[in-house]
Amino acid sequence: MAPLTSPLLAALVLMIAATFVGMLPVVKLIRVYEGHHELKQGSAGWIRTIAGWSMIVFWLMTTWFVATIIGDWGVSGDLQGAVDRSWLRLRIIIEIAAAIADSD
Amino acid sequence: MDTTNATQSDLRCPTCAGQCSYSPTYRGLECASCGNVHDLKTDDDYRAAEELGYNPNLTGEDLPDLSKTRAHHCKTCGGVVLFTGPALSERCPYCDGPVVLGTQDTSYETMALIPFEIDAMYAQHQAQDWVKRRIAAPNDLEDIVAKARVAGLYAPFWTFDSEEAVEYWAQYTVGSSSNRRTKTTKGKMRISFDDLLMPASPHVTPLIRDGILHDFDPSALRPYREGYLAGFAAERHHQSVADGLDSNEADKRLLIRNRIKQHINKSGVNNLGYHTHTSGIHYRRILLPVWILHYEYRGQPMKVVVSGIDGRTYGERPFSVPKIAAYSGLLSAIAIIIGLAWGAGGLL
Repeated sequence: MAPLTSPLLAALVLMIAATFVGMLPVVKLIRVYEGHHELKQGSAGWIRTIAGWSMIVFWLMTTWFVATIIGDWGVSGDLQGAVDRSWLRLRIIIEIAAAIADSD
Repeated sequence: MDTTNATQSDLRCPTCAGQCSYSPTYRGLECASCGNVHDLKTDDDYRAAEELGYNPNLTGEDLPDLSKTRAHHCKTCGGVVLFTGPALSERCPYCDGPVVLGTQDTSYETMALIPFEIDAMYAQHQAQDWVKRRIAAPNDLEDIVAKARVAGLYAPFWTFDSEEAVEYWAQYTVGSSSNRRTKTTKGKMRISFDDLLMPASPHVTPLIRDGILHDFDPSALRPYREGYLAGFAAERHHQSVADGLDSNEADKRLLIRNRIKQHINKSGVNNLGYHTHTSGIHYRRILLPVWILHYEYRGQPMKVVVSGIDGRTYGERPFSVPKIAAYSGLLSAIAIIIGLAWGAGGLL
């Protein structure tokens, strides 16, 4: 088992950064939720309010992706190896992000 | 013509000559002295839903009415409102700013209106309930809103009908990774807009319209009569039809683009362009009833608007920064825990 101090510290930094960055997406999430339930479906106001919802997914996907590297690092103790192993994952989430951006 | 005195005499109770105001509960003019209710219905009420045709090449037909009315001008937001009957107020129903009495209001003739169907007490309850249901709202918001009071207002709106012959072109993407390709498409379609509601006042935003006016029913329209306004503020129409169509343009463009995307029915539609030929424009200049509740949160003026027709509510709200941070932290923690487990488990 690799020493966990550095990965734990990295996870804590990620938690603080993701919380700070996520405040805007959370406001958007609430606005989308309220707009979806309260604005007339298909109206101009509804379309404008719903637009931009992909920022919520991008924030969560980015946070998840960085956490996967930290998780790998924590178990293997090899940060460079964890980064190298994340490339395929990165390609997949970029594909998902592109598809989401297309449908936003 | 000075309509003020004529209006006041119309609003006298035929039984006791007391002052009458429109009662949403009884759907008629209610006397403040004897309590009698007088019906405002007429035999030709059904004609209120009629629309006028508009020809953009004949703009001379659309002239404002120069009648002299008791228009009050707001010193804060610049709004111009009329107070009919006993509802004289020193505050603007749009922004709660002080108003001063002007002498003349040059406006366009209102064709019809939908009278108030819900009263102030219910509207106040709806506004407070709406605020209570806000996610991540500041803790003191409910108390602040509870101290504010709703004001009834007839806000000016347009309804527009039109037929659009649209020719479009666009690109869309197919496949993924190295197989991702961009394709082009073009086509023709017809779009009919029926009773597209557009605020005719800068004080009512399209977002608030879409929040409170979901089901506009033209059969609920009544011919414009001062009696319906008695006890409420009203803003009359100050836009020509051409101005109204201009202000409707941004919404119409967005709706047309959305319909084109649905027509193409592919994901990743981009570089969308179109030409449209508009015909069959019909319009109404109408007033719709709204209850507006003003409040101020940390120096920021905000409002909650309740439809005077069915009580549907929408408005502006502040967010609590600590609550937003807590939600963000919670969602981040979930994403991080799943991510850590994923990475530690050596998955993909």
